[in-house]
Amino acid sequence: MTPPPRGRVSRRTGVVALCAAAALAAVSACGAGGSEGTGTKVPGGSYSIGVPNWYIAHLTPGKAGFSGVADAIWTPLTQVGRDGKVVNAVAQSVQSTDQRHWTITLKSGWKFQNGEPVTAQSFADSWNAAAYAPNTMSNGYLFSNIDGYAALNPASGKPATDKLSGVQVVGTDTLKVTLVKPLSMFPYVLAGTAFAPMPKAAFKDLAAYDRLPIGNGPYQVAAPGLAPGGQQITLKRFDGYPGAKGKAAQITVKTYQTDATAFTSFRSGAVDIATASGNDLSTASRMYASQLVTSPTAAVVYLGFPLWDKRFTDVRVRQAFSLAVDRKAIVTSLLQGHAQTATGIAPDVIAGGGGTDCADCSYDPAKARQLLAAAGGWNGSLTLWTKQDPDMQTVLEAIVNQLRTNLGITSISLKVQPTDQIYPDLLAHKTTGPFLLYMGAAFPNIYSQADQLFGSASGTNVTGYKSAGFDALMGQAAAATSTTSGMQFAQQAGRTAMADLPLAPLYYPVSGAVHAKKLSGLQLGYLGDVDLSSITVR
Amino acid sequence: MGSYLLRRVLLMVPVLLGTTFVIYAAVYALPGDPVQALAGPDHMVTPAAAAAIKAHYHLGDPFLVQYWHYLVGLLHGDFGIDLNNTPVSAVIEASWPVTVKLALMTWVIEAVVGVALGFLAALRAGRATDIAVLGGSSLILGVPYFITAYVAQVFLGVKLGWFPVSGTDDGWPLSYLVPALCLALLGVPEISRLTRASILENLGADFVDTATAKGLSRARVLVRHVLRTSLIPVVSMLGTNLGYLLSGTILIEGIFNLPGLGYQVFQSVQQHDGPTVVGISTLLVLVFLLVNLVVDLLYGVLDPRIRLD
Repeated sequence: MTPPPRGRVSRRTGVVALCAAAALAAVSACGAGGSEGTGTKVPGGSYSIGVPNWYIAHLTPGKAGFSGVADAIWTPLTQVGRDGKVVNAVAQSVQSTDQRHWTITLKSGWKFQNGEPVTAQSFADSWNAAAYAPNTMSNGYLFSNIDGYAALNPASGKPATDKLSGVQVVGTDTLKVTLVKPLSMFPYVLAGTAFAPMPKAAFKDLAAYDRLPIGNGPYQVAAPGLAPGGQQITLKRFDGYPGAKGKAAQITVKTYQTDATAFTSFRSGAVDIATASGNDLSTASRMYASQLVTSPTAAVVYLGFPLWDKRFTDVRVRQAFSLAVDRKAIVTSLLQGHAQTATGIAPDVIAGGGGTDCADCSYDPAKARQLLAAAGGWNGSLTLWTKQDPDMQTVLEAIVNQLRTNLGITSISLKVQPTDQIYPDLLAHKTTGPFLLYMGAAFPNIYSQADQLFGSASGTNVTGYKSAGFDALMGQAAAATSTTSGMQFAQQAGRTAMADLPLAPLYYPVSGAVHAKKLSGLQLGYLGDVDLSSITVR
Repeated sequence: MGSYLLRRVLLMVPVLLGTTFVIYAAVYALPGDPVQALAGPDHMVTPAAAAAIKAHYHLGDPFLVQYWHYLVGLLHGDFGIDLNNTPVSAVIEASWPVTVKLALMTWVIEAVVGVALGFLAALRAGRATDIAVLGGSSLILGVPYFITAYVAQVFLGVKLGWFPVSGTDDGWPLSYLVPALCLALLGVPEISRLTRASILENLGADFVDTATAKGLSRARVLVRHVLRTSLIPVVSMLGTNLGYLLSGTILIEGIFNLPGLGYQVFQSVQQHDGPTVVGISTLLVLVFLLVNLVVDLLYGVLDPRIRLD
């Protein structure tokens, strides 16, 4: 990050004169220059990518967001392959007989970017730091299924200990983990950035580490890292990486306040890669067809029902709402084909997804009206809710019209809330109508979607759904002897929930990214993240 | 003059206190939960973690206690720590050069272009040039400047490729030129119209006739006598324009991705980052007050009849 030059603006009068002169000079001179992509002077090549601010706002495993940048900086114990399967990365083996007590052994030869070896202790240190409440790491809750989490997060007062009792270091390359409840999906969980290791050097100054991290991934953050108020970081290929090495030698990560600005910058050539969504995705498919990569996202956009509201306790009302929404029209006209109509809670890009569990996800206005009439019809006004997001608002407006036409509900209003308000309001049962929201899979297995949307302990179960049958099946999935059989139980659980229809799945979004002509090999992860290390510069 | 200056500076104290209070109260009243905003929307915050966050930022205290903590820090020159654990002063230090460059460039464009157009229009009053300036300024006033900004970004940056679209990579002045031009559109119509009216008023004044009768050249009369006198209201307008301009930077810096103070305020409002919003806003208010003081002092220089005491 180069800080903006400062000396020139110290004296006001000087600047005024300079300003006027330079303004004229620039007008005549700029025609020749214009903007260029970042140079390709480094062997192996370099490129730049435009990302949202939060990608690099925090660069500590316990705080970092799920992003392609985090994946480039750290390599956790396991990784999710292109096919959605979980494979060992730093781990040599991840084993358990009862799905509750796990033994993890590490491969040898892995090093941090400062040369420190990656040991079992590096993982334990990182996890303890993330779970310890006074560190206020935002990913801390992901450790709640590990024994001892409660002691680090007491209901009141300071925790008595700062170590998870369920994480035991046995020698330099063996880690024993005890879970609160069995979880067959634990190998998937370990692939998350939150479970990445941290070197001893990190703990001297956690705040400094957050801006200039030392990871064990294919790319390292070049000094000085992220400056306060800064907008970009530089990633340099880590040549001591034992896995598949990064293709490009250097990557400049530039942050943008909005995706639209990043896309406009791409169009002008100021960045080499930008993600495209909404209108920009349509523009991209028209103008940059050969430079656009799209992929279905392991996420679902759904219309959730407030089950605490007695108007929605009758399943026929929920079915009527679901059948009254023309998903195909939304996908083809509104989203211009950049989505798939949903027939379940996850598309087929993740293990166990793509099922046709939702019987009421078709479009049948006549049946919808019948069902609503049978349930006693609709009286009074209806308010629909969504979060602040231009695409979501457009879609919800279409739904309002469809419900008005197909169900004859005349008085419908629409309310928009910031994300940090809509979730707390939903969990406090303050929201007064159905809500349009997005849910992405935490890991690419149907289990994750089912658990996040309907699990009784989930913080994102916003409909207030609670079903003994569902919980029992998810319990079986968690205790299953393999991720595959666990996935099958989770599918059954998903079907159970879909029969109760606490929410109506609408569509699976499609994510896209555009790249400069000089780049090839761009791949998108299951949540639409760009895989930075696989990109080749021509 | 000295006592006038002292009085003005002392008057700034209650104004500053009042504005910090109002801004602090406004941030406090924002809907949403700062603890949740800090953790991220989909994250769960355990009671212990929430308590730690609240204690660190005094979020659990009553409003007045929070404000008091902030004020005491501010009086010690401490802008506080933002919710990312960075000192707000470090954020300000990194961002102010961007905003100063943008604001000064805009200001110069406003002054030079606005006064020149007004001057021309007044000399050609009622003729084609005048009508073009008046009509053009109405048109500019009618189109919101952020729309102009998006159009300029796509047209000048993407289609023609003359200017960078966003960011400060191309340095000063190239990266700032289009944003400054767009922002200047906010003030140019007002300045040009005010200059025009003021010049027309002075053209018929007795002292102009006297100057002409003395045998001074037309150019000398216009520049030394008419323009100089007519600029008094324009200078005060330029001063107050700085206020709009600084608020305008919030949108413009967002659109052009310039990491200045406005950009940080926008981002901080989204993240419920009270300390940054209040810190930067307080700074902007202080700058606004100082500029107004300078403008008032300049009156005396432009017009010796005005005495400051």
